[in-house]
Amino acid sequence: MGFPRRVAEHVGGGALAVARETGGIVVLAGQVLRALVPPKIDRRELVKALYKMGNRSVAIVVLTAFFAGGLMTLQTGPFVKRLGATSIAGWGAGYAVLREIGPILIALMFSGRVGANNTAELATMTVTEQLDGLRALSIDPVRFLIVPRVIAMIVTLVALTAIGDLIALQGASVVGHAMLDIEWSTMFHSFADNLKPYDFLHGIYKSMAFGVAIAISSCYFGVTVRGGAVGVGRAVNNAVVASAVSIMLLDFFITYLTG
Amino acid sequence: MTAPAVRLHDVHKRYGDRRVLDGVSLDVARGARVGLIGPAASGKSVLLKLACGLERADAGSVELLGEPLAGKAESELGALRKRVGMLFQNYALFDFLTVAGNVAFPLERRGGMAAADLAAQVAARLRAVGLAGSEDKQTSELSGGMKKRVGIARATVADAELVVYDEPTAGLDPVTTQKIYDLLAADQARTGATVLAVSSDVAALAQFVDDIAFLYRGRIIYRGPARTIADAPDPLVRQFVRGELAGPLEDKPAG
Amino acid sequence: MITRLGRSASFLGGEIRDLWMVYIGALAGLFRKSRRRGDLVRQMFQIGNRSVVFLVVTLGFIGMVMTYEACLQLSSVTGNDFSMIGPQFIRLAISDFGPTLTGMMLATRVGAGIAAEIGSMKVTEQIDALRMSGVLPIDYLITPRLVASIVMTLALAVVGTVVMYASGGLTAKYSFGVNPNIYFDISLVRLRHVALFVTKSVAYGAAIPVVAGFCGLRARGSSEGVGWATTAAVIGSSFAVIMLDFVISAAALFVTGGDL
Repeated sequence: MGFPRRVAEHVGGGALAVARETGGIVVLAGQVLRALVPPKIDRRELVKALYKMGNRSVAIVVLTAFFAGGLMTLQTGPFVKRLGATSIAGWGAGYAVLREIGPILIALMFSGRVGANNTAELATMTVTEQLDGLRALSIDPVRFLIVPRVIAMIVTLVALTAIGDLIALQGASVVGHAMLDIEWSTMFHSFADNLKPYDFLHGIYKSMAFGVAIAISSCYFGVTVRGGAVGVGRAVNNAVVASAVSIMLLDFFITYLTG
Repeated sequence: MTAPAVRLHDVHKRYGDRRVLDGVSLDVARGARVGLIGPAASGKSVLLKLACGLERADAGSVELLGEPLAGKAESELGALRKRVGMLFQNYALFDFLTVAGNVAFPLERRGGMAAADLAAQVAARLRAVGLAGSEDKQTSELSGGMKKRVGIARATVADAELVVYDEPTAGLDPVTTQKIYDLLAADQARTGATVLAVSSDVAALAQFVDDIAFLYRGRIIYRGPARTIADAPDPLVRQFVRGELAGPLEDKPAG
Repeated sequence: MITRLGRSASFLGGEIRDLWMVYIGALAGLFRKSRRRGDLVRQMFQIGNRSVVFLVVTLGFIGMVMTYEACLQLSSVTGNDFSMIGPQFIRLAISDFGPTLTGMMLATRVGAGIAAEIGSMKVTEQIDALRMSGVLPIDYLITPRLVASIVMTLALAVVGTVVMYASGGLTAKYSFGVNPNIYFDISLVRLRHVALFVTKSVAYGAAIPVVAGFCGLRARGSSEGVGWATTAAVIGSSFAVIMLDFVISAAALFVTGGDL
């Protein structure tokens, strides 16, 4: 009798926690939206955030994109080569990269680099009572701190995805050439012939959605931290996990809804 | 003449650009009780860590219980450290263990004790620090004073030859402070261990230790009997101990 | 500029060497007499139990998306012949996506968790306290997590791959009318695919706790330090998973002469 009850408690507790967090995130999203109308944003914070986030993540995104593109070629290339259809080698790799692998991997890396960092910063500020300090000076933390970061994260992720997509295609070409002896020109032509601008945009729309998800959840877990140093670690953990789940969920819905 | 419990000779240690210890020499004889005082961030905790081999000196020599620490690997240091008990400034209690688990830890690491004897010794230690019956509490349930006492219990449970206390009474009220020092004194009288204690509360410390060293701007600039520390010949020391605002003490840190 | 590049390269080299020392230390801990089976079980429980739901959800969705996209692509090439979708998908899932996506998700969840735990121990001086009792931190903290992670990553990769395949089957059936009998066909799976599965799962399982533990042990300061350590761990372990995937896949390509 004990075991089923414990399972139910466990599942129920987990479900409640998820519900509470989802609710909290939605509330924060609402606050951010409200702060955007009228758009009175601290410009200095925005620029500072943009610079910091872009700077930090460019290297890791470029590297990841390169290898991800290469990976796709490794997976689809031999298959394509066996069929003799090298002209569509670029298509096989490129399609997956632009629509799925690129946006998802880059978003995951971004969430790990910038999202986690953001949560850590906001969590530390909360733990050291700096947010309370801001409120005491009648500065709204949402408007001052959170909104610039959210905007910066969305903009940065979209830009990174665009750049990353191109780098991934490069990576795919390099691996195609180095390991499967597929000519540069063959790859390039198969990209150009088979990949439509819409494929690229599809990935970009996704990255916008991912950006929103990562930004809001990383800020949420940052400011709702409890406990000291241990709490900060836990907040980062939760933020990264929540971002990953949202990315997968959003990817699913967007793919289905827009085809 | 047995080797001193701790011997630092011309030790230098820097973190980045900051020269925290700039030629420190300090001897702590066996069985002695020595206090270490100095302004905040003067490197007192760093000195303690160097003495136990938790950090390595950039230059100079460190000997612990007669053994030089230079060139020893971490695993070799372990055997030496088991003969030393340390109370950390922020208690450093293991939050994945209960109170009993924390106090029993050094004994378990030493090995060779039956479970029943171990439990009995842990219980005795906890009784001595005034925490009888707290064996199963989690560290998160304890107040600051209680955590300090668990830390002391853990540092002294294995009857170490050298006990190092980093701020044993910081943040505690005057009555508890007195109780803690009485406890430390009783322990030391019982085991004859060597004691090295860092404290910002000079008056209370002076009643417990035999002599006091003053660490200022990376050097030991004074070493003398605790009882007369307030009348030390060095004006720097006098000003610090008496808590006077006017005098040669400077605000900026060393390096 | 060259000197700066050079300095970053030597810094990176130093970091990698330190990371390697942690790995060796953790492995060495395996051969030391340690009667701490309880801790090993606890670690496995922490890794496995807490991650199952997360993994099932994320890999379930990704499986659906991948199948959807693949069917979409295929329909424009072969009309309505979807007979290859199931077999090809399971082949790729076993040899690559299953373990790798599981690895990426675990790098996020488990990597952050380990770094947060060890990092907060570091900043509260518990690591130093362990050393004062003659304990080797790598032995005590990382080795059990290493073993637990390898075992659980392997187990969870199986779960994840199965979930991915199953959810893909659902998508294929309900969106493209693919007959489950045709989809659930494992005839294309070879031993080398399973070998890749095991190799990758073990590699990721080993890399995550080593990288995360390494970052945790480097934490400095207080809450800020723990935040940094956790962030670095997530990035480091995710990137390690991708790099290992690439290296193992490329090596397999060489060994089998281009026949994946």
